[in-house]
Amino acid sequence: MILTLLDELLLFSGVTLLVALTIGRGLAAGWMVTILYGGQLLALTKMAALGYEGGTIASSLSFEVMGQMLNWRFDALSWFFALITLGSALLSSWFSCGAWERDYIKQGGNIWLFHTAMALNVFTMLILLASGDLLSLFIGWELVSWAGFLLMALAGGVATKAAMRYITYAMAGGMAVFGGLALVYSASGSLQLEAVITAVEQISTTKLWLLVILFGGGFGIKMGLLPFHLWQAPAYAETPGPGSAFLGAISSRMGLFAILLVLVKLFGIVNIDNLKVPFTLIDARDLLAWLAVLTIILPTFTAMKQNDARHLLAWHGIGQGGYMLLGIVVADAMGGAGGLLHVFNHATYQAALFMAVTAVIYRTGTSDLNKLGGLVVRMPLSFMVLLIGIIGLAGLPPMNGFVSKWLVYRSLLNQGMPLLFLAAVIGTLGTILSVYKLIHNIFLGQLRVEHEHVAEAPWSMMIPMLILSAIIFITGLMPGIPLEWIASVLQTVGLPVPQYTLGGVESNSGSLDMIWVIGVLFAGFGIGAVIFYSAGRSKRVHQLDNYAGGHFLSADVRYQYSDNFYAGLMHLIGGWYRGSFLWLERSITSMIEFLSLGMQGLYRRANAEFYLLSTALFVIAWAVI
Amino acid sequence: MSSIKQIPVVETKRTNPLARVFDDLVRFCRSRSLFILHYCTGCGAIELPPAMTSRFDMERLGIQPMVSPRQADILLITGYVSIKTLKRVILTYEQMGSPKYVIGICSCTVNGGMYWQSYATAKKLDEYMPVDLYIAGCMPRPEAVITGLQQLMDRIHSGQANSWEDYYRNYDYYLGNQQKLFGENWQTPTDVITEAKHYDLLSEGTLGDHTRLLEQHQKPLEALDMRLGHELKEPRK
Repeated sequence: MILTLLDELLLFSGVTLLVALTIGRGLAAGWMVTILYGGQLLALTKMAALGYEGGTIASSLSFEVMGQMLNWRFDALSWFFALITLGSALLSSWFSCGAWERDYIKQGGNIWLFHTAMALNVFTMLILLASGDLLSLFIGWELVSWAGFLLMALAGGVATKAAMRYITYAMAGGMAVFGGLALVYSASGSLQLEAVITAVEQISTTKLWLLVILFGGGFGIKMGLLPFHLWQAPAYAETPGPGSAFLGAISSRMGLFAILLVLVKLFGIVNIDNLKVPFTLIDARDLLAWLAVLTIILPTFTAMKQNDARHLLAWHGIGQGGYMLLGIVVADAMGGAGGLLHVFNHATYQAALFMAVTAVIYRTGTSDLNKLGGLVVRMPLSFMVLLIGIIGLAGLPPMNGFVSKWLVYRSLLNQGMPLLFLAAVIGTLGTILSVYKLIHNIFLGQLRVEHEHVAEAPWSMMIPMLILSAIIFITGLMPGIPLEWIASVLQTVGLPVPQYTLGGVESNSGSLDMIWVIGVLFAGFGIGAVIFYSAGRSKRVHQLDNYAGGHFLSADVRYQYSDNFYAGLMHLIGGWYRGSFLWLERSITSMIEFLSLGMQGLYRRANAEFYLLSTALFVIAWAVI
Repeated sequence: MSSIKQIPVVETKRTNPLARVFDDLVRFCRSRSLFILHYCTGCGAIELPPAMTSRFDMERLGIQPMVSPRQADILLITGYVSIKTLKRVILTYEQMGSPKYVIGICSCTVNGGMYWQSYATAKKLDEYMPVDLYIAGCMPRPEAVITGLQQLMDRIHSGQANSWEDYYRNYDYYLGNQQKLFGENWQTPTDVITEAKHYDLLSEGTLGDHTRLLEQHQKPLEALDMRLGHELKEPRK
């Protein structure tokens, strides 16, 4: 048997998991696993033809279960997501080696379990991405869910609680997907992708509606789509630092991958567009678009109220997922490209942001936004990384987040969807406000006395952060690099492909060339720099030699206002934070508790012999008849 | 002490023929872009809103309010300064970047005005910091304020408004008056002597008995420099 490239990759990934399992206790294990991730990435680049030209590479592993062929293969879509997965795994694992690892062990963490959980996550994600039919997709889906649970539950305490909440949601999602599978099977008699595509054409509208709801809901849970978003922020935030960087970068995008595969590729956006909601003017596609937009706005504005840096970032992870889905649902050339590009961009800056915050936690011991401040003079490089990351997250030039958001906005305008556009812009406004809060409360303002002797993060953490910052900037300058892969992805899932250049996209309704945009921007900076440096020497003053309305400042006076940061805005919109989704979740929980209490009462009251007898009688009756 | 008159005029020989033109251009630009610090002390402050807003509109002269002393050019002392306020005024004045100009508005800044008998007010402002211009009156109307500002602009353009140099040249005198009022322990965060050296304005009046007294009990603030060090430093004593 000859191993295909995909077999090599999956074997490599399995070996990584084995290495982490067997020798994961030593300190060198982290480095070894990191090198193996690098090897996996190398194996993936051998398949680069998928990303540039399309096509598929099948695995030689396939078998038949109950008349269903199970097979695994990679195409451009899988390759693109696998690239992000392995890239973020490599850098997160690199980040975790050395200084962070020693600190984690000192604080009582189990580093073996951490490396194993990471390797397991990567392995299961690759299996999911390689799925060649709906049954293998379901198997991969369940594997990814449980692997994620392992990583999230690592920290214990609050984290376990959050992970339990996640797995409850994930199981519900898994059941929905399974229900969908049963429906598909009954309609087409097969779970092969080609059979599904032909079956969808003849399926009744009601059934298609049911399928869209089941699959959309099931996959939507993983990507934190409203109203199933509540689990995600605490689960990701409480994971140990590099783990949250990895999860935040890619984990919930698995839901988007599945949506792309099933809803877009198999069902087709056109078919979803034809599903009208009775007695209204909207259809299933509008519904998805509005859900996406609500997913942008509500979690983003929830992020603004967070007082913990990790939670703030994790809430943004949910919100940014909305942009990706929105772009894909709009489904024109620019929207699809924007949505997919945002997957890549979000992974880069979200990982960088989580790493920068973890570096701050490593040095100061806290991520509480009310207990930090002024760290720019002590951790200037981490500040730079966080700054680059938040510019990307807020979608401003010159970083990569701008390009993908620009494409999504442009597609909304081109397709005549001004209300969705407005809603997306409101979401961006919330993003800008909250990332300003993030950088201000950690790095700007007054340095606290207890942080007087804090040093910059160690190089083992700094280098992955700097690599990510470089990627954020370079793909912002030359979005043509990822757009080339995205073009093949769009072709694979059957969406129109935009005309891209190295610096952006060409279009009759307005092109974007980031090389020009950034050139002009930096020319402006250059003029500013010439004025600044030609104006003579500047003087650095002490932070206590500051103007506070004429007051003499001393170190015990806090003049950094971080608590209740947007008091004025909250005065206007504070009343809209009602916690409706929390209320919904709680009411469902208590309803299930009430029902189970009723069931308990039923089987506890009567004696066991009666049940045994009646069951036996029932079985005999069923066998006879 | 009217030390403003005693500033020795030093004619520096400029070799570059364009230097005069360039200096004139710089002074012109400087006089057309003035930022007033929002630090209002007494009742004269009430005359500033009409001077700023649409009726008299000082922005047509290029004069705007500014919220921080680091970016401001003009410190307006708009009325009596109590001793407590004077400490803040001096702190703020020293935080301003040179060249900086001080305008005393109202009679109180000239000679104490109606608070002449008060134990809690500083009577002559120019004993504590060099004043470029007084606008007398109780209180001067916005027209007078605007006229005063225009005169300051003319003085800046003609190169006469350089009393800020006097604070560096005769720092010992001003510090002595401040110490007389606030006590021996008086100090501000700004290191005026180093700044005097920076502007090349160190003269025999800069250092003296009072600066020596200051040095005896001065606790200097250490500048927080950007640090790339990767080792944890020992805590300082």
